Amino acid sequence: MAEPAYTVASDSENTEEEKSSSTFPEIAIGIDIGTSQCSVAVWNGSQVELLKNTRNQKMMRSYVTFKDEVPSGGVSNQLSHEHELLSGAAIFNMKRLIGRVDTDPVVHASRSLPFLVQTMDIGVRPFIAALVNNVWRSTTPEEALAIFLVELRAMAGIQLKRPVRNVVLTIPVSFGRFQLTRIERACAMAGLHVLRLMPEPTAVALLYAQQQQQTAHDNMGSGSEKIGLIFNMGAGYCDVAVTATAGGVSQIRALAGTTIGGEDLLQNMMHHLLPNAETLFSTHGISEIKAIGLLRVATQDAIHKLSFQASVQIDVDLGNGSKINKVLDRQEFEEVNKKVFEKCESLIIQCLHDAKIEVEDVNDVIAVGGCSYIPKVKDLVLNVCKRQELYKGMNPLEAAVSGAALEGAVASGISDPFGNLDLLTIQVTPLAIGIRADGGKFVPIIARNTTMPARKEMTFTTVHDNQTEALIIVYEGEGQQNAEENHLLGYFKIVGIPSAPKGVPEISVCLDIDASNVLRVYASAKHRGPHQKAMPSMEVRMPTVDDGHGWCAEALHRAYGSTSDLVTVQKKI
Amino acid sequence: MISTASFPAPKVVSQFQGNHSPNSRTGIGFRGRISVSASRASTVERAGSRIASTSSLYEVLGIRMGATCQEIKTAYRRLARVVHPDVAVANGQRGGQASADEFMKIHEAYSTLSDPDRRADYDRRLFGQQWAATSGFSGGRPRTWETDQCW
Repeated sequence: MAEPAYTVASDSENTEEEKSSSTFPEIAIGIDIGTSQCSVAVWNGSQVELLKNTRNQKMMRSYVTFKDEVPSGGVSNQLSHEHELLSGAAIFNMKRLIGRVDTDPVVHASRSLPFLVQTMDIGVRPFIAALVNNVWRSTTPEEALAIFLVELRAMAGIQLKRPVRNVVLTIPVSFGRFQLTRIERACAMAGLHVLRLMPEPTAVALLYAQQQQQTAHDNMGSGSEKIGLIFNMGAGYCDVAVTATAGGVSQIRALAGTTIGGEDLLQNMMHHLLPNAETLFSTHGISEIKAIGLLRVATQDAIHKLSFQASVQIDVDLGNGSKINKVLDRQEFEEVNKKVFEKCESLIIQCLHDAKIEVEDVNDVIAVGGCSYIPKVKDLVLNVCKRQELYKGMNPLEAAVSGAALEGAVASGISDPFGNLDLLTIQVTPLAIGIRADGGKFVPIIARNTTMPARKEMTFTTVHDNQTEALIIVYEGEGQQNAEENHLLGYFKIVGIPSAPKGVPEISVCLDIDASNVLRVYASAKHRGPHQKAMPSMEVRMPTVDDGHGWCAEALHRAYGSTSDLVTVQKKI
Repeated sequence: MISTASFPAPKVVSQFQGNHSPNSRTGIGFRGRISVSASRASTVERAGSRIASTSSLYEVLGIRMGATCQEIKTAYRRLARVVHPDVAVANGQRGGQASADEFMKIHEAYSTLSDPDRRADYDRRLFGQQWAATSGFSGGRPRTWETDQCW
């Protein structure tokens, strides 16, 4: 079985480190790479501790600048951020761009960032570049993230006085497996080994489970089951989880997530404040970048202020003849972003529905992430959940990274004499996984919100007489009917199916997600009748697609048409 | 009497069990148990374990048939804390695949028994099967839905 190349990445530096730290188990650190901010935490032997940079900050802006020969990340040099943002030398929002092709609407929306995001709309990675000495220096979200992670790793190593290698990272619920491989690659480039990739709200759920267990201990209670609803909205993504917890076991009942966040609120407001913003964004000259940067900083500042005051005065000179002088109030802000807030509401409703939990049965409603400070966001969460108040006892900005640090300690095999690490998370699949069949449709084999590890099998058959080949095209997604609306994970073909009339051969496709969240696809033609001829079968680890995967589906269709299609076999009841 | 008859049990125990419960098959005896251990080398050490493919879902969770919903949840969590791959592999008890298989079985039992409709359905089939087995009626076949409707 072919291992993707990124997992074998190692360097001499690491082997030396491993030797020196082999005497005691290394505690994996937790990293929350946010679209906007990043934080690192570690179990210090008795509790979770957030690490601070040299400027004494726990939250570090996630960005990288390409000013000189050596690019530098935003872990320590916070002061120059704003200036570099205006010069086009800073790359940020890596988490929104990573693992996406240039036909993705999220990439299209990113063209308004003050650096270069160019799309050709052909299904390949977008052209992303920073302006360095008037020349575009191309980069990738993986590279930028890796540069940032190298700095984080160095910072953590200095503070912990030991080399850092193992990490638990939090990721958005809506991330597909291809995106996860990109995150893993960035980590490998930074010399980090990923122990777990945890959907953000499940990290929060783990922290909640620990807090509930602590409370049960203190009260000498039996620790009855608590249902928690976790709403996590940051700059890039909005995620919801419903968890049932008792005795330190956090059982995730359902997950829901989408690419919507503070960045969308910001972009909507920028378009609202400057109606002809699109023309400004479409050209990327030095003065335009500066104007975009100025508008961005002013708008972001206004949105932040609106969380604590009813209205805000915006005065900004974009330097190209256009000035904005305006009083913005909350009502206007909420009206402009109505659709974003509606989407948040529907995500909560969907997650409760998928978890088969009535809102009345929820014990605690937890809202975390940067956007949870926005009054409208708090209100909508409380409204949908029919509550008067949110769960207290968690710092909205530190909850996810704290959960990741707990998982890091648990996964490293650390135990705590007071039982504070007697924790287990039972995860579910955030997206459905299936194959293309029934004439271009997505046929889920493992449904969304299936408990992991999981193994499911389905039987298919041929669509043509004497069809000897079958294309197995694996997709992952929220279950849209049309296969191509989901994320392509990979494809292979089964050859040597014995000639038979259509509908007769039985092709079994089995998907297996193991304990490490590795997905394998087994496909085989089944024996029918007494003959014992060897039947074709294949086992493939997914994903297999590379950066140009946007091409693949179309190219496959052109090359094969429906000649190697499959249809589902109707189950006899 | 063929001395090796007990070993090559019928390969009806599919490697990838679907949604059908193990009890929908015939033959509650030990033959099924052996077929599980024989079909997958990695699970040999579990041959004597409580979780054989033909034990009832209640036996899988180690609870009595009339267990309350709370007892089912508690039993599931208790078992998860031992067999879940995250725990079992970290403690070096066994390989990931063996514990993943075991956890999937426990989860399947839990998800059936924690859903009132599916549990009622399962109980009917289980009762029918045991009744048939003890009375020696119809070769241990589960009752058909028509007769099940009567009571």
